[in-house]
Amino acid sequence: MLLAASFIFLFAPTDALQGPVQRIFYLHVSAAIAAYGCFAVVLIGGVVYLWKETLAADRLARAAALVGLVFTTVTLVMGMIWAKPIWGTFWTWDARLTSTLVLWIIYAGYLMVRRLAEPGRQSARFAAVVGIFGFIDVPVVHFSVTWWRTQHPGPVVLNDALPPQMLVAFLITMACTLVLAAVMIAIRYRIEVLTDQATEKVVAPIVAQTRAGDAR
Amino acid sequence: MRSISIALAVARKDLASEWRTREVVPALAQFVVLALVIANFGFQFDSRNAAAIAPGVLWMALVFAGLVAFGRAFAAEREQASLEAMLMTPATPAAIFTGKALAAGLLLVICEAVLLPALALFFAVPLTFDEVSAVLLATVGMAVLGCLFAAMVARVRARELLLPLLTLPLWIPFVVVGGQAVQSAMSDGSTTNSANGLLLDLDILFVVLTSLAARFVLDD
Repeated sequence: MLLAASFIFLFAPTDALQGPVQRIFYLHVSAAIAAYGCFAVVLIGGVVYLWKETLAADRLARAAALVGLVFTTVTLVMGMIWAKPIWGTFWTWDARLTSTLVLWIIYAGYLMVRRLAEPGRQSARFAAVVGIFGFIDVPVVHFSVTWWRTQHPGPVVLNDALPPQMLVAFLITMACTLVLAAVMIAIRYRIEVLTDQATEKVVAPIVAQTRAGDAR
Repeated sequence: MRSISIALAVARKDLASEWRTREVVPALAQFVVLALVIANFGFQFDSRNAAAIAPGVLWMALVFAGLVAFGRAFAAEREQASLEAMLMTPATPAAIFTGKALAAGLLLVICEAVLLPALALFFAVPLTFDEVSAVLLATVGMAVLGCLFAAMVARVRARELLLPLLTLPLWIPFVVVGGQAVQSAMSDGSTTNSANGLLLDLDILFVVLTSLAARFVLDD
């Protein structure tokens, strides 16, 4: 991330119209792409879990959902900070902004399901279903700038609209952000494994005791 | 073929129990009329802004009435633990789910039969065919999604909290497309075939997806 920061602030040229605030762009877009990636992992993890019932897939989905939510938050907050000087307002009900907010709410709901459902198979199954349905919003967010006339600008990277120096800075930031997301998922995955083990160790004897008590 | 008859049987059972108890429909009908009263105070309604406000009021009332209707869809099954018994029969979860969604959707349609005329009466907006068709098409998709999440939250703590949280974001496409259709139907009466086509596409998408997912939500 330091490498990315040095490229953002030292290498990339200052935007002629928007000035230094345009440097938000690099992290804003990279965080959005990282969030898409995380939610794709949630989707795949969910499908694999429903199909094969592998615990690893569910843990991966759990880890990716949280990291994806963090990156969506970064995208939204960065976007708002950028929007204030350029559009004159923190928020406008534009299709892309609205659909991104909905995306945030969907995955916040995903984490709520995880917390409120019975831990184990039930919470994993329910969350997988929510994750699969929730992913429908990702292409909506992505194509919202093409489908509707929005205040939010359309894709600039794929359309070759960036000057080469900016493109280099962007690609490096994106690579760094994606690595960061992967590392965060890996750490979170490790935490999920430990949590599962701890739950088994602590909760399982209690459950067994209560069951035995009920049977008597 | 068998699945269809099972779904119809489940729907008939739900509607029969609703007919005997008359719990949900009268409450929903009162609820939507109350929503109109609240909207009247909230929006400073007059004859000039009626066409602009009425579509919003319609969807707000419909969405929240839907949440109430689908929240009740699995209440009886939960209280009497009869869902487990239904799942023990050879009926497929998808068929049972379709039946539940059909019944809950029909209850919402009855509620719409109160809401739309009441809106036309109290807010003096036209009641057109396009408007009715958009609302009915949206109801299909809302019913399958609402029932899927209702089945899910029926087994979860704090279910009243979780149902709107899961359902509303996925209903937004219906509100977006249906809202535009109703808006244009109320303001100038222009045709909205493209909106209805899009609603139909969304319906098909979500009917297929929910019937695939039903197995994982019902069968525990």
